[in-house]
Amino acid sequence: MQFFYFHLMPWPHLPRDFERAHDSAWVTLPNRLYDPKRGHRLYNEYLDELEYAERLGFDGLCVNEHHQNAYGTMPSPNLMAAALVRRTSRVKLAILGNAIGLRDQPLRVAEEIAMLDVLSGGRVISGFVRGIGCEHLSLGVNPTHSRERFYEAHDLILRAWTEPGPFTFEGTHFRVRYANIWPRPLQRPHPPIWLPSQGSPETIAFGARRRYPFVSVFTPYANARRLLNEYREEAARLGYRATPQQLGFAVPTYVARSDAEARRDAKPHLLWLFRRGLKIPPHFLAPPGYLSEDTLRRFLLAGVKPPSELTFEELERDGYVLVGSPATVRDRLREIQRDLGIGLFVGGGRIGDMSHAKATRSAELFAREVMPHFRPRRGAPARPGTPARRR
Amino acid sequence: MAHRSEVIEVRGVRTQLFKGGRGGPLLALHPEFGAGIWAPYLDALAARFHILAPDHLGFGGSERPAWLDSIDDLVFHYVDLLDQLGIERTAIVGSSLGGWIAAAFAVAHPERVERLVLAAPAGVKLDGVPRYDYFANPIEDVLAHLFRDPTRAAQLLPTEFGTEVIVRGYHELTTLARLSWNPYLYDPKLQQRLPRIRTPTLLIWGDDDAVLPPAYADLWATLLPFATLHRLPACGHLVAFEQADAFARLTIDFLSA
Repeated sequence: MQFFYFHLMPWPHLPRDFERAHDSAWVTLPNRLYDPKRGHRLYNEYLDELEYAERLGFDGLCVNEHHQNAYGTMPSPNLMAAALVRRTSRVKLAILGNAIGLRDQPLRVAEEIAMLDVLSGGRVISGFVRGIGCEHLSLGVNPTHSRERFYEAHDLILRAWTEPGPFTFEGTHFRVRYANIWPRPLQRPHPPIWLPSQGSPETIAFGARRRYPFVSVFTPYANARRLLNEYREEAARLGYRATPQQLGFAVPTYVARSDAEARRDAKPHLLWLFRRGLKIPPHFLAPPGYLSEDTLRRFLLAGVKPPSELTFEELERDGYVLVGSPATVRDRLREIQRDLGIGLFVGGGRIGDMSHAKATRSAELFAREVMPHFRPRRGAPARPGTPARRR
Repeated sequence: MAHRSEVIEVRGVRTQLFKGGRGGPLLALHPEFGAGIWAPYLDALAARFHILAPDHLGFGGSERPAWLDSIDDLVFHYVDLLDQLGIERTAIVGSSLGGWIAAAFAVAHPERVERLVLAAPAGVKLDGVPRYDYFANPIEDVLAHLFRDPTRAAQLLPTEFGTEVIVRGYHELTTLARLSWNPYLYDPKLQQRLPRIRTPTLLIWGDDDAVLPPAYADLWATLLPFATLHRLPACGHLVAFEQADAFARLTIDFLSA
């Protein structure tokens, strides 16, 4: 199993009356609530935490793109990856991901990832996402074009990385007559492309067809299970067996000395993440055309609770989060590994308004008392589902 | 008033068309809400005109072809519809989105337009006067913005509410987004071209329009050299739905003059 340390870089300093005074942590939450002076300190703490995760033995560090919100203050994950490149030497830098369809010119992503890949000596993993509904409002991108733009941007970037330039690309949304990126990426044929997603059937089929690793992100356990199974089934239909390296599970994780302590410590911060960070009204979450009508119908019929209405008990029970003592988390992770067949685990991170000290302690416990149990012992053959780390 | 609806193919695209009344032809273009029904204001107009009230493509009972993404597409579609019905020249009434289509039609095909009635048409932008955002507000808030008297919104709502009603509403709002997400509810070229319209035009605007505030009425009145502006007191954005009688009376007087 490979372990990735994930950071959202949240804005924890929301006003006390946030839940009463604001409908949303996205789109319209006034940016006067962001204080750049405190932001300076936070960014540096967050980067310290990511750098420390390399020393703790994580295989990769994850950053991601979100716009104009308090949930994650990382509109450019590539900038954060750049900040990490020169302060790390071994870990993969997983950008999960760039919202490629939100760019006016996706070649900019092809260029920036190529820069990072060359600079890091080939340590980059390049996630691609559509961007969430809110971000189409925040950046003025027509949500009815969201899928088309995603696929078209993907095709353009992939060609830019792999095809000798210059070439001409004439799509519906993106056109460039002289695509010829300098630098080219270092990894051949190109940096690994991952698909972090909450999973529409279309995205899963696309990923399975291209053999891109699929990482289920922040969704109830049963749903993650369904998505990963769909991926495996799709792969089987295509005539191959999906490997654990193609299957990932991302979940907010917190470890403390005992289960009781872990719960007590993590609860307010997990509730911050779901109640505050993910407070998004439906008209921001699904602007017109962002969801297919089938997805909307399924969603309505399933009657899924919005994240902001979940209780801590529900978060634990439904497997939105992974919280406990090292032994509990280890056992649960072993079950998850067996049940989901995953080879990529994305956890860790400083959750919501958690302190630096708490986040660090949890990461240390996870790295020292959970991770080693999933590493092949020296000289021992790798067990199924726990491949040796590729270095 | 007796009316019927039929689904016809216009260049292979299924189009739902409501018809009723006797008299000269009157093409009635619905706003962004209120498709798929024979609206009450059409009853009053049907006493004097032969009403043709199609559902725009992607609204009500009309199909949404993959190529639909601009107001021009609808203008061409209505040229095809009139050709197919053998109507050379017609009066057009249009409300909000329908008014935008009607104005774009008159710019492109003035020879086919007898007279124009535009009720709070969308399609232009006035700096410093925001247009209400349909795409970033809860549906209850949207409905409340359409009328001065919010209870009037009931006529747009189905009697039974359920998943399919929500999906249908999402479908229509998606069509609107395809047509006008960005630029939002306007076309910079239309503004530049409106002064070409020489067709006699009646502009009707509610004093309490909370979607396109009355400053837009004044802008349209200056852009259209042959227009008369009539403001309706105590009336919101969906003029023809909020004050059906006043709207019909003004329209009939203007078209019959």
